[in-house]
Amino acid sequence: MDVQTISVASTEKPAGRGRIPLRSRVIRPPSVSVASILFGLHELWRYRDLLYTLSAHRIKVRYKQSVLGIAWAVLQPVSLMLIYTLVFAVVARIPTGTTPYPVIAFTGLLVWSLFSTALTTSTSGLVSHAHLVTKVYFPREILPLTYVVAAVFDFIIATFVLAGLMIYYQVAPTINLLLAVPIVMILVCFVTSMSLVFSAIQVRFRDVGVAMPLLLQLWMFASPVVYPLGAVPERFRGLYSLNPMVGIVDGFRTVVIGGTLADPYTLGFSALISVLLLPIAYVYFKRIEATIADVI
Amino acid sequence: MPDLIFDHVSKRYRIRHEVEHGATRHPLIRKWMNLWTRPEDFWAVKDVSFAVERGEAVGIIGHNGAGKSTILKLLSNITTPTSGEITINGRLAALIEVGSGFHPELSGRENIYLNGSILGMSRSEITRKLDSIIDFADLRQFIDTPVKRYSSGMYVRLGFSIAAHLQPDILLLDEVLAVGDAAFQAKCLNRITELKEAGTTIVFISHDLRAVERLCQRVLLLKRGQVVMSGSAKEVVAAYQSDATLSSESVEVHKKGETKEVEIRALSFCDEAGQVKPSFQTGEPLVARIDYEVHSPVKDAVFGLLFFTADGEQHCELTTDLSDDRISLAPGKASLEFRTPELGLLPGIYFTSVHVQERNARDVIHYQYKSTILRVDSDRVIRGNFFLPHEWNIKQVRNGRGSEEHS
Repeated sequence: MDVQTISVASTEKPAGRGRIPLRSRVIRPPSVSVASILFGLHELWRYRDLLYTLSAHRIKVRYKQSVLGIAWAVLQPVSLMLIYTLVFAVVARIPTGTTPYPVIAFTGLLVWSLFSTALTTSTSGLVSHAHLVTKVYFPREILPLTYVVAAVFDFIIATFVLAGLMIYYQVAPTINLLLAVPIVMILVCFVTSMSLVFSAIQVRFRDVGVAMPLLLQLWMFASPVVYPLGAVPERFRGLYSLNPMVGIVDGFRTVVIGGTLADPYTLGFSALISVLLLPIAYVYFKRIEATIADVI
Repeated sequence: MPDLIFDHVSKRYRIRHEVEHGATRHPLIRKWMNLWTRPEDFWAVKDVSFAVERGEAVGIIGHNGAGKSTILKLLSNITTPTSGEITINGRLAALIEVGSGFHPELSGRENIYLNGSILGMSRSEITRKLDSIIDFADLRQFIDTPVKRYSSGMYVRLGFSIAAHLQPDILLLDEVLAVGDAAFQAKCLNRITELKEAGTTIVFISHDLRAVERLCQRVLLLKRGQVVMSGSAKEVVAAYQSDATLSSESVEVHKKGETKEVEIRALSFCDEAGQVKPSFQTGEPLVARIDYEVHSPVKDAVFGLLFFTADGEQHCELTTDLSDDRISLAPGKASLEFRTPELGLLPGIYFTSVHVQERNARDVIHYQYKSTILRVDSDRVIRGNFFLPHEWNIKQVRNGRGSEEHS
């Protein structure tokens, strides 16, 4: 919570009372300070099992009563890929160089699905758990975080399809493939910040959740998801690259199927934004968290 | 060092009122205007200080809206105080509305992990206690069934069982004891007593005064967000019951349209001999006496006595409207007695309202709202919403001949 809560004692508890060391905490009116942030992170660590259990549960429930089960994680990006292939490669005939369009589209959609799934689901994450939020204490950021974890899980499942696709189209990866890991980490960092901010705003203004599909639609076409970065005219590039998702999507595609290094400027910019945004988003979330139970 | 310290804690809620004027305006504009109205302050808890020593069991009682649940929320860190400081020494667990964290699609076992970790248990801790939790809930047979197939009783049993295995240093109890069947309730109470004997500090917030008396040594009485009394359970509970002024704050609100030919002076509850009693047992005879004074004659009056639950819902009514016989009132002082041979109310606290009315008239002559409290206890557990007076007999069929026994 956004409470300045400081551990002042960690002594062994007297006989007769449990085995867990005695914790002492002070709950004060909300204030943002270094100590409260550190305490918040400590609490998050203490509740890591809840993060694990809730995320696992999120994944289990999603596929439990569906016939296709886990196949949905694959089916969604694959069907989107087929649709965009039809539109851009068959109808509009967008030039993609030597790489076949389906691979271009799938790499983009893979990254984008992680981003959009995590963001849409986590935005409503706090509100849909109002019954918990008003009854039990736990670090609230766990709720949006579980949706991010679940989306990452889907992402990992879908990468197997990408591997299959690359074998089919005989796109050989290079050692630069390993750079995909830090790029995905940048993406997770970015989507986490966005999820924290949007889920917190959603508590007071439900408009955010309603606007989310539209926002994501626009955002997707403003990122090189279903078309390569090269299709964007050079003179718009500067402005275009202010979107942090540009560096991430293009970077991922470049290291995975291009086999070369990602553009250090656009990717570096995305990384910088993500890293700067996360602490700001966290502090903002903690600030809102203090009154969540009162307004939800 | 005490386990819990409330140090001048206050909690303010801001209430925004809808703008009434200009109702014809566009809803969007009204929404926008609402954003700029000055919110009204409401102090749910104001300058409350108290401490709970290690191993102590403290009860917190008070009317609805007195700030009980706000204190519970503050203690369990669900919401933060506006000012003041709360110190908690030890692991605190709140027995919340059981089963709030269940997911219907998951099995009982999966839900134990889910609910346990929501309540702050680690996975290894849950694994260690899993068998004990399942046995306590008596659900071994169904533990791998999705909980959506559970009966509500099974739901409650599983929920309580998880919470009962938390092993906290400080346990917060809400009205959770009012769930499940009698046997399970007894099991819950036993478990809580066990925890108490093991040195767990208990804070019990409830309407059930008997349970509070049984469990707690010390009781705090809340009124309008402030602690107005603190002392031994017997003392405070007695004061709470006898203090009619506690709730008479709302009396003046309902005076509109009264004609005041008759004034109700008092309402008292007595036994058959006319002795005023502080509390009654379910099934006991009850006499409710209304003392009134008539200022000018009324031709056809109707008296009514309404019982409300602690939640403010109308529960039942005693009324002279049952018969068409006229009650004509002549000036002077008099009293009216309602008699019921077997009290059908279940244990609890009931608020009352008394009214006099001319038959078929729209206006009430006099209305006294929530003036007196009726407390009902019982030694036996009776389930359901009310007590239906009953008797029974056993007919044994032996060799075709019936022999009757009456009890």
